Amino acid sequence: MEKRDYKGPIENSIEMAIEKIENLLKSDYYLSGRSIAILLLQEDEEIRNLVKEKDVANFDRIEDIIKDTKLHYANPISYELAIERQDEVKDILGRYVKFEKDRISPQEKLSRALMNPLFGIPALLLVLYLGLYKFVGQFGAETVVNFLESSIFDKYVTPFSTVLAARIIPWIALQDLFIGEYGIVTMAFRYAFAIILPITAVFFLFFSLLEDSGYLPRLAMLIDRTFKKIGLSGRAVIPMVLGFGCATMATMVTRILPTKRERIIATLLLALAVPCSAQLGVIMALLQHNPKALLVWAGVILFIFLLVGYLTSKILPGERPSFYMEIPPLRIPSLSNVMIKTYVRVKWYFLEIMPLFLWASVLIWIGRLTRVFDLLINLLKGPVSAIGLPPEASKAFLFGFFRRDYGAAGLYDLNAHNKLDGVQLAVACVALTLFLPCIAQFLMNIKERGWKTGLGISVFILVFSFSVAYALNIILRSLVVVL
Amino acid sequence: MDKKIMPLSKLDINKKAKVSHIKTEDKAMLQRIIAIGALPNTDITLIQRFPSFVFQIGKSQFAVDKELASCIYVRQI
Repeated sequence: MEKRDYKGPIENSIEMAIEKIENLLKSDYYLSGRSIAILLLQEDEEIRNLVKEKDVANFDRIEDIIKDTKLHYANPISYELAIERQDEVKDILGRYVKFEKDRISPQEKLSRALMNPLFGIPALLLVLYLGLYKFVGQFGAETVVNFLESSIFDKYVTPFSTVLAARIIPWIALQDLFIGEYGIVTMAFRYAFAIILPITAVFFLFFSLLEDSGYLPRLAMLIDRTFKKIGLSGRAVIPMVLGFGCATMATMVTRILPTKRERIIATLLLALAVPCSAQLGVIMALLQHNPKALLVWAGVILFIFLLVGYLTSKILPGERPSFYMEIPPLRIPSLSNVMIKTYVRVKWYFLEIMPLFLWASVLIWIGRLTRVFDLLINLLKGPVSAIGLPPEASKAFLFGFFRRDYGAAGLYDLNAHNKLDGVQLAVACVALTLFLPCIAQFLMNIKERGWKTGLGISVFILVFSFSVAYALNIILRSLVVVL
Repeated sequence: MDKKIMPLSKLDINKKAKVSHIKTEDKAMLQRIIAIGALPNTDITLIQRFPSFVFQIGKSQFAVDKELASCIYVRQI
């Protein structure tokens, strides 16, 4: 490529500095000396450390050249270089590219409407209602789950494996591991294939459609002002929306957030107040005939989300978040792309969680066999009774830790056997949504945020979830609310 | 005489303008603006200001917050 001279004072020009630095670089960097020199002048930390390590002898002289050059420019070198590049690009474009006159296409009109709060916020609510409630909640978590559970598992898989296990496993205790109430086939496989798989598959399909249509950045710009109040920027909608699918995966996606402060706030909120699709499915099923309790649940969770975010952003030190995002044109998603993305995500999710399901079954089996679980369940009976639930619900909370949805599903069974009233249902759903994340998310929190923060978040949630449920129960009861 | 220079956040909607200069002491902010390409002499049009600032440069659109929009100074043309 043609070498281009940078403008500026001749004897201290950027071009001169590049040449001088190039001559001082003696090691091999895989990149050309010129590239390294330009990166050094732009104060790229990574490259600076690399050169400090590799060219020890000349490093001080290189630093002097950079310092000296900076003195001769009013603006940072990276800015000067960006302007030079831009001028060059304009020059080339002007010679070879002709632009059509700008006119506003129908897509552009729709795009602007979606970014205008007057139309955009109702559109957002409609997207959430159709996508999350109708498609994921009703179609995925009810229609498909019911079909798989009752027509496949209850009819064929469970009876067949029960007979088979009874025949080939002589010990009742070991039979329990496979076909007991929390057995590998009866619980782990059933939950994984008949409940979690369809819900997450449908959710990821919805998310991929949203992503490929280019809607997410528009959602981010609509919500940025609100998110700023809780210490996040609009960019954080991506992990937050993903959290409705799988909060564990979403915690990993918090890596796209630029500062540590934002990542901590997002991790905490995901663990505390964003219900995952598996939980949402069961909660919807629990509360579907009780719209008032559903409203109370949703209101409390939203309030806690905003309150905890607001307080955390006040307490945590660090820079305020900044928001900038490119708004791509709206597009009709390509079906094959959407399918591939959904497939890859479901596969990742499944490979990641299936072992945990199996472990959960094994741990529950051991815990029950050794009676450690009875002890823990008894310990939890106190707080569970304090929030106005029957003591049997403590089982749902303990198992909830192994997977959040086990807990919700346990509650579902409890409700089927001994009817809970509306207030109990709302309080239980609030407590379970806020309660400790599942073991997978717990491990992810520690992996992404480190021991101290990860553990700290969990302890906080343990105490906080019961406190909120306790307060909610007292408020609802003393107001004599009937849900 | 040049037309008035003002921060992008004060520019009228759909009026053509050119970036005159960038004003920020914050290096990270400057990097963001460089990444967006809102550099001096670039044509820029503000599309909307609420709830976030959206502007167009060439064929690309960007959404930014008020802090960033206030660092980009423009001249109406």
